[in-house]
Amino acid sequence: MESLIELQRVTVQAQEHISLDNASVVIPGNRSTAIMGPSGSGKSMLLKVAAAIIPPDSGRVLLHGKNLQRLSQRELLEFRRTSGFMFQDAALWANKTIFENLALPIQFHFPNRSPEEIERRIRKLLQPMNLLDSLKLRPAALSEGEQKIVSFLRAIVLEPVILFLDEPTPSIDHQLLEKMLGMIRGLKDRGCTIIAVTHDAHLTSMIANHLVILKGGRILEAADISEVRRSANREVIEILTQVLSEAATYDTDILDLLQE
Amino acid sequence: MIAKLGKQFSEAFGRFLYAAGFLLNLIKESALFLRRRQVGFRVLVMQLLFTAVEAMGIIALISLGLGAVIVVQGISILPKFGQGKLIYTILLIVITRELGPLLTAFVIIARSGTAIATELGNMVISHEIEAYVSVGINPISYLAVPRFLGVTISMVLLTIYFNFFGLFGSYVVTQFINPIQLQDYFQNLLSVMTVADIVSSLLKALVFGILISFTAIYQGFNVRVSTTEIPQVAIKAVGQGFVLCILADAVITLIYYV
Repeated sequence: MESLIELQRVTVQAQEHISLDNASVVIPGNRSTAIMGPSGSGKSMLLKVAAAIIPPDSGRVLLHGKNLQRLSQRELLEFRRTSGFMFQDAALWANKTIFENLALPIQFHFPNRSPEEIERRIRKLLQPMNLLDSLKLRPAALSEGEQKIVSFLRAIVLEPVILFLDEPTPSIDHQLLEKMLGMIRGLKDRGCTIIAVTHDAHLTSMIANHLVILKGGRILEAADISEVRRSANREVIEILTQVLSEAATYDTDILDLLQE
Repeated sequence: MIAKLGKQFSEAFGRFLYAAGFLLNLIKESALFLRRRQVGFRVLVMQLLFTAVEAMGIIALISLGLGAVIVVQGISILPKFGQGKLIYTILLIVITRELGPLLTAFVIIARSGTAIATELGNMVISHEIEAYVSVGINPISYLAVPRFLGVTISMVLLTIYFNFFGLFGSYVVTQFINPIQLQDYFQNLLSVMTVADIVSSLLKALVFGILISFTAIYQGFNVRVSTTEIPQVAIKAVGQGFVLCILADAVITLIYYV
């Protein structure tokens, strides 16, 4: 299994709380990974550390075997250009319009691209989401679900080969969610590596080949879904049942749900 | 007790070193601002508009008022001692050397210092800073540098503007009390003005601009997890801005005139 991103004995402490505790995990390339765990288990932190947004307090993060903290400016920019990150709370730039939110990454990485080209790209992204009328609005004028959609579009505006998604599905209405899932499926089919923190059984079953289970900042399990199915670790089963309980009935085998 | 004091000292020293490193990084990034492919130029223009252009009204009012007060007080007291001409020296000392840069700094701290600390603090809480990092934009070069340059340039320009309006205001009031030709008035002023007056005024403006913007940006980025920290950092940006400007004012005055 080819390693895309590898965390080696990573510890992150936020305030007095240890978010990641000596976590080591390999995230494979050309496959999609779902990160699961109870609330507060460090999933979002793991994703941000893997995406080199937050540096670890100790330990190393490797990208294709190279220490992410020691990448040259050029290598880091290349990594940013080829990766996208969707935030759990959208994290849109509040003082910019929706158009500007989507245009800024393009203007930054491709300063020679014409305004017309940029506008075409943005319109193409917004049109299927019925958000063309919102081009000149500020994020505060959109609903929470629409903001998350725009955050997703910002993450894919540069056509990334690695896509980090932090809880992408909650608070998005059914119709928009189906369109977003369609786009995620399309990206996966084109070879994009997707790494998603999610509680959503449907999304997990749709994209994930690989599963990482966290508890209390520690990695409990990191393996292909077929291996997780065979796992005899009661804690893993309990966490999966707990995490996916909203999507499952009591008499459903939760691991079957992942194979639907 | 000694161990506790030692720990506090060590923490304070660590914070000082961190702040010094942050300032050096800010200056280094500012030097590179024009050379880089920049999407931050618009942020600089917006900062200049907010800090300089929008403050012109209040600066004009304060400086006109100050010039008027000095003339009224001076003309009523100085002739009694046969020192009527001294009014021009006093005008220059008070407006150009001292209160011009200092009052301009206070206005900028109150308007832009608080605004910058609050805005950046909010951006930290809402993860907007992380969003910039995620797309490859360095928050220091995109967010901090334009604000740093914008406030510093505005501070210098507004100090010149303050000096002009302060001296012009005093001329207007003089017309009501003791009418004098505009040419004579400015000739009298220029005759007592030295290069040191202008240089010290501009140097103070430059140093105050650096201190105000650095303090506000540093405090804004210091917000960690909660919105309740935002008013706290705004208060710190104002308090530290005032203290640093007054200290710097004293140091520059001592260097120049002692």
